Amino acid sequence: MSPDLQPLLLDALLAGGVLLLLVVDLFLKDTSKAVLADLTALIFVGLFGLSFAVDTSGSAFDGAYVGGEWPLFFKRLFFAIGALTALGSRDFVAERFMRRQGEFYMLLTSCVLGMTLLPGAQNLVLLLVAFELMGLPLSMLAAWAKTEDTKGQDRDAAEGGMKLYVVGAASTGVTFFGLSLVYGMSGHLDLAGLAAAPGSPLLTLGMFLTLAGMSFKIGAVPFHMWVPDTYQASPTPFVAFLSVAPKAAGFAALAAVFVKGFGSAAAVWAPALLAITTLTLVIGNLMAIPQSNVKRLLAFSGVAHIGYMLMALAIGTGEATGVLLFYLAGYAATNIGAFLVVNAVGGRDADVDIGLFNGFSRRSPGLAACLLIFLLSLAGIPFVVGFWAKLYVFIEAWRAGLGWLVFLGALLAVVGLWYYLQIAYAAYIRPPAADREQPVAVDPRTRLAIGVCLVAVIGMGAWPSPFIENALAAAKAFIAH
Amino acid sequence: MTLDAYVLIAGFMFCIGLYGVLTRRNAIGILVSVELMVNAANINLAAFAHFGRGIDGQVLVLFTTALTVAEVVVGLALVLLLFRRRKDILVDLANGLKG
Repeated sequence: MSPDLQPLLLDALLAGGVLLLLVVDLFLKDTSKAVLADLTALIFVGLFGLSFAVDTSGSAFDGAYVGGEWPLFFKRLFFAIGALTALGSRDFVAERFMRRQGEFYMLLTSCVLGMTLLPGAQNLVLLLVAFELMGLPLSMLAAWAKTEDTKGQDRDAAEGGMKLYVVGAASTGVTFFGLSLVYGMSGHLDLAGLAAAPGSPLLTLGMFLTLAGMSFKIGAVPFHMWVPDTYQASPTPFVAFLSVAPKAAGFAALAAVFVKGFGSAAAVWAPALLAITTLTLVIGNLMAIPQSNVKRLLAFSGVAHIGYMLMALAIGTGEATGVLLFYLAGYAATNIGAFLVVNAVGGRDADVDIGLFNGFSRRSPGLAACLLIFLLSLAGIPFVVGFWAKLYVFIEAWRAGLGWLVFLGALLAVVGLWYYLQIAYAAYIRPPAADREQPVAVDPRTRLAIGVCLVAVIGMGAWPSPFIENALAAAKAFIAH
Repeated sequence: MTLDAYVLIAGFMFCIGLYGVLTRRNAIGILVSVELMVNAANINLAAFAHFGRGIDGQVLVLFTTALTVAEVVVGLALVLLLFRRRKDILVDLANGLKG
């Protein structure tokens, strides 16, 4: 490979992986296609390992793509998420969509390809193409439950996928229009040139439209209405993916355009971002309380977590951006683990009522303990990763003079504890239903994926310093470039 | 025509599209509205490029057109899926799922 394309080595290999999956799928019988999940996981694990061995710094395509610490951090995160999702999906997908497994993993992998390209993009053309490459497979995968299940949930899946699609398409339209105004005012498509634009009303309008369009993708309030419906209707292992990976990619895009592109105009967009942050924190936490469907509950809890991450983004300093990366990594490990446990408990059902968790600790003590740790991490209890993530965000917000936001965030974290503990209460205190006393069946690969999440959550909670230092270094490289 | 006229037309088209996305319940209507929004952005890009912002804008128009085509293909596939399952193609963003 020519030295010019060296920064894109991992992405190029991943693109090869997409094609490989497509070809291998042709030669497999329907009954043996589950091996594609292992192949997908293998590709991601291999790339994850390779990311430590190869040098991907430098720039490609005349500066439109820049490698280095910042994209590398995201790539490792996405590879890890992809591998965990593939492992967690294997038996579920093989059982429910036997004939459409190849396409499932192919789309999942190409979605991850869009995400890995995103953080290094220095040009709006590449940024938009990568964003779409991520967004389109998501709505297809959300509508994946089509024919093979007979319990009436297929209708929901089509509607959930359609909602994700409509919201995604509309947000793309808004983002395009906003960026077209920004281009008109600044005359540049590269991020470095955006910063040089003189202030004008049209530029401000363009910025706000871009902010609104991108907030749709991460599911920030008031653009969050698709989140619970899509989560409820989609295949649960895919929801584990949907709830973390596109959010991380969305934050990478927001950081690229706002912290970097419009860094000098922070006085204009920061108040708007703070308003969205406040709304997201309040609505996400309060709407989670009355939910009796665990997938909807975790959807609103995800919205609340987006609020804490937006808090770090709104501060906009190098340290705060590093904290954002740490939060993303911790949230990814926790939420994937939680959704995989929910998938195991829910079985084939797309709807997972909180009542299904009754007596969970007596049925499967080990799995229930995992769930409890994930829930404590989501709630931000010491000494799991969620605690450090929230604490660092609060410290940075306090330093930036946002004392009121820290107070609000801490108050709402207590509210969060209430609804997370509702699930724990059902699992540990309530007796199991008479027909549900046998242990929860978990296939070995899901077990492995949950175990990896558990190690990550506890490991990053017990020794956060190497991870936070890595995140801070990545953010420093991002700001400095 | 001056640059202002183009930007005004684009802004008007964008508003029609946004209104359509927010009020339409028919999935095809929503797709058409999204198309209006994206094409408003395209008019902007082409006009800005023509009035002295360099060729970049024209290039981005080509990319957005290709992206939108891909997006519409997925959208129509989902519309077909929805129609086959439900015999209607109504999408209500504000309400929850109906079983």
